[in-house]
Amino acid sequence: MGLRTGTFHENYAEEMATFNSRLRWGLVAALIVVLFLCPFFLSDRMLTILTTMGIAVVSVHGLNILTGYCGQISMGHSGFMAVGGYTSAILCAELGWPFWAALPCGALAAGIAGLLFGLPSLKIKGFYLIMATIAAQFIIIWIIIQLRSITGGTDGLLVPKPTICGISLTSKANYYYLVMFFVVLATITAHNIVRTRAGRAFIAIRDNEVAAEVMGVSLWSYKLQAFFIGCIYAGAAGSLLVHYVRFASIEQFPFMDSVWYLGMLIVGGMGSTAGAIFGVIALKLLDELVTVSGPILAAAVAPQAAASLALISHGLIIIIFLIFEPRGLYHRWEMIRAYFRLWPYSHEASE
Amino acid sequence: MYKHRWMLAACTIILMVMTTFLPVSAQAEKVLYVGGTQSLTGPFAEDSAAVLAGIEDYVAYVNETKKLAPWRSEKFPADVKLEVLWRDDELKPPKALSIYEELKAKGMLVGRISGSPIALALKDRLWEDQMGATSMASGSYLLTPPQSIFTYYPIYTDSCAAIADWFKANWKESRKPRVAYLTADNAMGRSLEIPEMKAYLENIGYEFVGTQYVPLVPTSPPTTQLTWLKQKGVDLALGVMINPGSQPTVKEMVRLGMGPHLEYHMTFGVALPGHAAVFAEAMGELGDGYVCAGSFRSLDDIATPGIKFCSDLQDKYRKGKRISHIMYEAGVLEAMIQVEALRLAMQKVPFDKLTPRAVLEEGFYQIKNLDTGDISSTPLTYGKGDIEGVDEIRIDQVQKGKSVKVGSSPVRHIYTKK
Repeated sequence: MGLRTGTFHENYAEEMATFNSRLRWGLVAALIVVLFLCPFFLSDRMLTILTTMGIAVVSVHGLNILTGYCGQISMGHSGFMAVGGYTSAILCAELGWPFWAALPCGALAAGIAGLLFGLPSLKIKGFYLIMATIAAQFIIIWIIIQLRSITGGTDGLLVPKPTICGISLTSKANYYYLVMFFVVLATITAHNIVRTRAGRAFIAIRDNEVAAEVMGVSLWSYKLQAFFIGCIYAGAAGSLLVHYVRFASIEQFPFMDSVWYLGMLIVGGMGSTAGAIFGVIALKLLDELVTVSGPILAAAVAPQAAASLALISHGLIIIIFLIFEPRGLYHRWEMIRAYFRLWPYSHEASE
Repeated sequence: MYKHRWMLAACTIILMVMTTFLPVSAQAEKVLYVGGTQSLTGPFAEDSAAVLAGIEDYVAYVNETKKLAPWRSEKFPADVKLEVLWRDDELKPPKALSIYEELKAKGMLVGRISGSPIALALKDRLWEDQMGATSMASGSYLLTPPQSIFTYYPIYTDSCAAIADWFKANWKESRKPRVAYLTADNAMGRSLEIPEMKAYLENIGYEFVGTQYVPLVPTSPPTTQLTWLKQKGVDLALGVMINPGSQPTVKEMVRLGMGPHLEYHMTFGVALPGHAAVFAEAMGELGDGYVCAGSFRSLDDIATPGIKFCSDLQDKYRKGKRISHIMYEAGVLEAMIQVEALRLAMQKVPFDKLTPRAVLEEGFYQIKNLDTGDISSTPLTYGKGDIEGVDEIRIDQVQKGKSVKVGSSPVRHIYTKK
């Protein structure tokens, strides 16, 4: 009697299943349990870090759909987050809307802004699209400043404490659970979007626009869809951010964050859902490491050594990845998985 | 033998690592932390670095002498050691949140605000934790409840009101002087734009013209904004700016012939973050006429006890690498306030029972007439709802390339919304 090794897909449903083995189901279940248990054994600081990481994951998933899958490079992602954040903040603070209703409206508003600023992508690409999306970032922030009577301008806007079904989300644990719910939701939807007809069209456009068009893919429609979906994620992340800080301010959405989100994708690996998560974890951990090591470095070398350490380290890590591993951490992860897939025969299999 | 040496080294490293995980209570010394979040990256980097140096030197002084200042007779408890804890928040609110949680978890009982965006992000959380904090930012938002953030120089609107008072007192013409805001385009700069401020200016006899904004750190000369002021016939421009913003602005003013002694007479006055002493040192006579309210004394003013103290601290702890930035004084002042709050709290609450709330209520709120050796405009007094420590505002002007005190004015408490 022969022993089965590896995972065999015997029908289309098995082949297409999101989690196509018991081991994967087990790992996902274990991960969700660990995420659920985190507030019980992690400090407030760790919860704060995980919450901000989660918000970044939601945002980077959106950028991954737009840039990683569809190939439309956006350097205005932080601006789209601002649209979502401010919409949600205004609806809650000025109109008294509940948080659960304001958040999807914020996401939708960002999606619509994405549609508007995505229009140039129909005519331009590459370097010129980058410039257009940078312009989007500055235009959005400028509009927020000018609409002072609604947005509070540069003063910002105080956002009331979020509540859902009478449960106040002011405690760190409660908000952590909310953000993790969105992280899971965003990850599953991002993973599935790219398996749909639209997702395949995105990839076709990224790989070769002309070939995709010849095959009947509507560039006009799918590029705008990518902008819309990507910016919905950004809007949701922006909304989560302002409700977490309980304050909406343009300083929360600087241009450099748009650059770092793209950097997270580069480090994690463009065009993969897991890559987006890896990238966020890597750069956020680096950020924390730099924050903690700053005072040590300042004491050992000079106070100036600690200044701008985060900027330098982030820049360096992106350069290093671009040179040595342009496919990001996800590619490394895939190599490790490939090695163990048919273990202990993986060596023979790879040959 | 070689193998044993390696094992010994490995054991030593393991022991060293293990000790870092020991809880604070297991250590023999009683330690209290001061300092807090700093913005060492970004537009406030220069100011923050000087503040941090001031805090470090003051803490070293207290640890060594157990004295609080040369002119003070009270002593800091001999069995308690102070340590400086800080992190660079890069002026990013989300980063400041995790830093705040980290420092709180390490047992920090006092907080610190490094800029307006950080103040707005941490204000509610500080109150929820009942933690008192000193603040380098001094916007009117600090005057609305909840209030546990304490300033040591006047709220920006009060500083600008002082300049307006001083300018009006020296106004010779029969017509109303025309005033406009020329201010930084961020939360700090725009905090000037409150209805109470405009009403105050009109009440004391000004004609209010409007507002022009300059980026916090301009990347090009603000020619358009200045030309607008010129066209509107503005006599006094008020703003809240940091030096990297005000210096290029004044350079362009001079180029356009605008200034108290130039062909188009206009005075430009800013609240404290645009330090007159820093400005004078950088600009020399080119900056003549620039006015700053709420500023600290120049670091050369050794006749003042507080400044002499700052100089002595630098002589002792900073040989060969002296800090020339005036915010060094702010660092000493902030450390003084934090240490005083801790000291007062320890008089009422045993060391092992100290909490942020105890330090806020028995410390910060109990600070009355804290003698700062004239580093601050007046001795500092805080209390519940009284977070603006000073009662008087010093006005300095750059004259012949030097920062000169030209007057002082009582704090007007312009902002009344509670």
